[in-house]
Amino acid sequence: MDDSTRRFLQRLIRRIPAQMLKTTLDKWGRLTAAQKQSMDFTEPKWAFTERLLDICEENGWTWKHITELEMTYVIDNPNQGMWYAFQLMDPEDDAHSVELTHFKEQFKSHLSELARPVSVKMKKHADEAIWIRIAWGDSFSRPNHQKPTYVVHHLQTPYVFVTSLTSKQKPLLSQALVLSTRHQAIKDASLSGRKLGAIRDLLMRQYQQVFPTSYPSPLAERNETVSNPQIEKEQAKSAENRLQMACEAFGDGMLPQLQSSVYKLETKFKDHTNKTMTEREEPFRCVVKFASTNLLESLRHCASSGIASTPVTPLLSSIPLKGRNYFIIKDNGPGPSSQTRQTQN
Amino acid sequence: MQAASATGVLSHLSRLEVHARSRKTEPQQRSRVTELKAAAEQLRMRREQLRAEVETHKNLQKLRTSMDKRREDKEGEEGMDEDSEDSELLRLMARHTQLNDLLYAHHIIGGYDAIKTRQGQGLCLSLPTAYDGVFLETYNLEIDVKPAPRIARHNIPPFIPLSDLVEQSDMKTDIRAFLDTLSQHLNAFSGRKQQLKLVKELHKSVEVMESNALCSILVMMVTVPNEKTAILCTLDYTDHTRCLPTRVHFECNGKPLADSPDWDTNRSLLLETPVHKALSTMRRMGNIV
Repeated sequence: MDDSTRRFLQRLIRRIPAQMLKTTLDKWGRLTAAQKQSMDFTEPKWAFTERLLDICEENGWTWKHITELEMTYVIDNPNQGMWYAFQLMDPEDDAHSVELTHFKEQFKSHLSELARPVSVKMKKHADEAIWIRIAWGDSFSRPNHQKPTYVVHHLQTPYVFVTSLTSKQKPLLSQALVLSTRHQAIKDASLSGRKLGAIRDLLMRQYQQVFPTSYPSPLAERNETVSNPQIEKEQAKSAENRLQMACEAFGDGMLPQLQSSVYKLETKFKDHTNKTMTEREEPFRCVVKFASTNLLESLRHCASSGIASTPVTPLLSSIPLKGRNYFIIKDNGPGPSSQTRQTQN
Repeated sequence: MQAASATGVLSHLSRLEVHARSRKTEPQQRSRVTELKAAAEQLRMRREQLRAEVETHKNLQKLRTSMDKRREDKEGEEGMDEDSEDSELLRLMARHTQLNDLLYAHHIIGGYDAIKTRQGQGLCLSLPTAYDGVFLETYNLEIDVKPAPRIARHNIPPFIPLSDLVEQSDMKTDIRAFLDTLSQHLNAFSGRKQQLKLVKELHKSVEVMESNALCSILVMMVTVPNEKTAILCTLDYTDHTRCLPTRVHFECNGKPLADSPDWDTNRSLLLETPVHKALSTMRRMGNIV
């Protein structure tokens, strides 16, 4: 094991929190039972790392094995860094019959052709997700394992989730994905977040949506916190209506956790009391950002408690409806209109 | 004298022999009689049980007809004034069969619930899915009616080709055709998903190697008893409107399996019956572990 590999392993162990070390090493599955016994998970990390390095020397492990350990850790703890969603467009006729081994082979060969040298590792997770770890190199150096890109894709769905991708690497990855999934183009889905599960659930509609029904609203039934039958709520009906509309716009129960929503306004300034600004020809550029630990939950609460007017404005309800949290709003006739960011590739 | 003593001993011996033999047959006869008596008793109990069931069923039918008639006549009286537990139970059972029939009627006319929203400008449809008598997920579509029918919101998963289906059928003139095709896709998807779930639950000896979100491909590893070889079964569901595979392929050690009557039977089982039932039959026949 050379120096860079040792340092990489040291940095990786430093990164993994102490309480997750044992489970991550077990899942990695490369240590024998005897070696596992000899490791002391209570000693300080630097001592633990030394012991692990000795075992790695014993077994003659290389980059291949250590990056496997990193991938195991990231798959279990994906919520680090920002994830960006992409959407594949215009499937070919055989896109829906692309199967796993075929996709793996094609992706590896296309990416190796486009970005030589590159180190690609692919793994299928239990929930049908394919995880890809890419370490990029260029004509001067070997693949850089310190800054890998992670890609997650579910076959037969149009969505791809990516983290840690530079703008130089983006066209190479896009081309490889488009060719191996048998589509014609890929575009930015204008959705980003810190939690992979949240943006995935939002796009795949894996949260509880509410639709109007002719039956008594299950929401009203569930929210009956009748503490004292003598107390009567005066505005119960309108509160119920607001709750129904808020849930129809955003969903019911646990909502996917988004952290922010950004609106880039390129509209003309409209304020009759401020003549100088209104007389300007150019649009007034302004960026509005909503941030929260759980944005959709906050917006839903705003609507149901009456802070935001109902029916919910399409500016806010577009977030779950269109599955995006970046909007560009221009003056294109009556009412605001939203457009996608300039398409990539 | 010798003859007399010999006869004495011999006759004694023969008497003992007869005694021993009779002891063997007598208990046999006795046990046979008790067996038959026990069987007769069981059959009598079963007859009583069946008589009681028939009686209950007759009462249920009577109650059911009176309930249906009451619904039609819209009378507000409560018949059956007996407050016994039996009649309460009977009433519940009649109501249960009534609801089941109602659900079935709703199902055979398409099963879609449609309600108007936003003062007639919107329409919300719900498409239930079911497989093998079990209701699975319900999917919803919210449609804007004006200026042209267009889907505003839905919770249909992205691997169902919704936009393709919208293009293929004209929503303005024949929305029913569009809904029927969409319902076919959704029901087939739910059916395949349910079959996969049952395979994982019921057949622990079969390892699912590959499946995908659309449940259109299934690769399983089965083991042959005695030889303990592992066979890879690939099921391709290329027709997404069906719950049964269009192609079944067996592989052993990377090479296609040689033809044999056993595996031909297995192939036709997998092509013609749902996968979890086919696997049960294969196990019963002893073809797989």
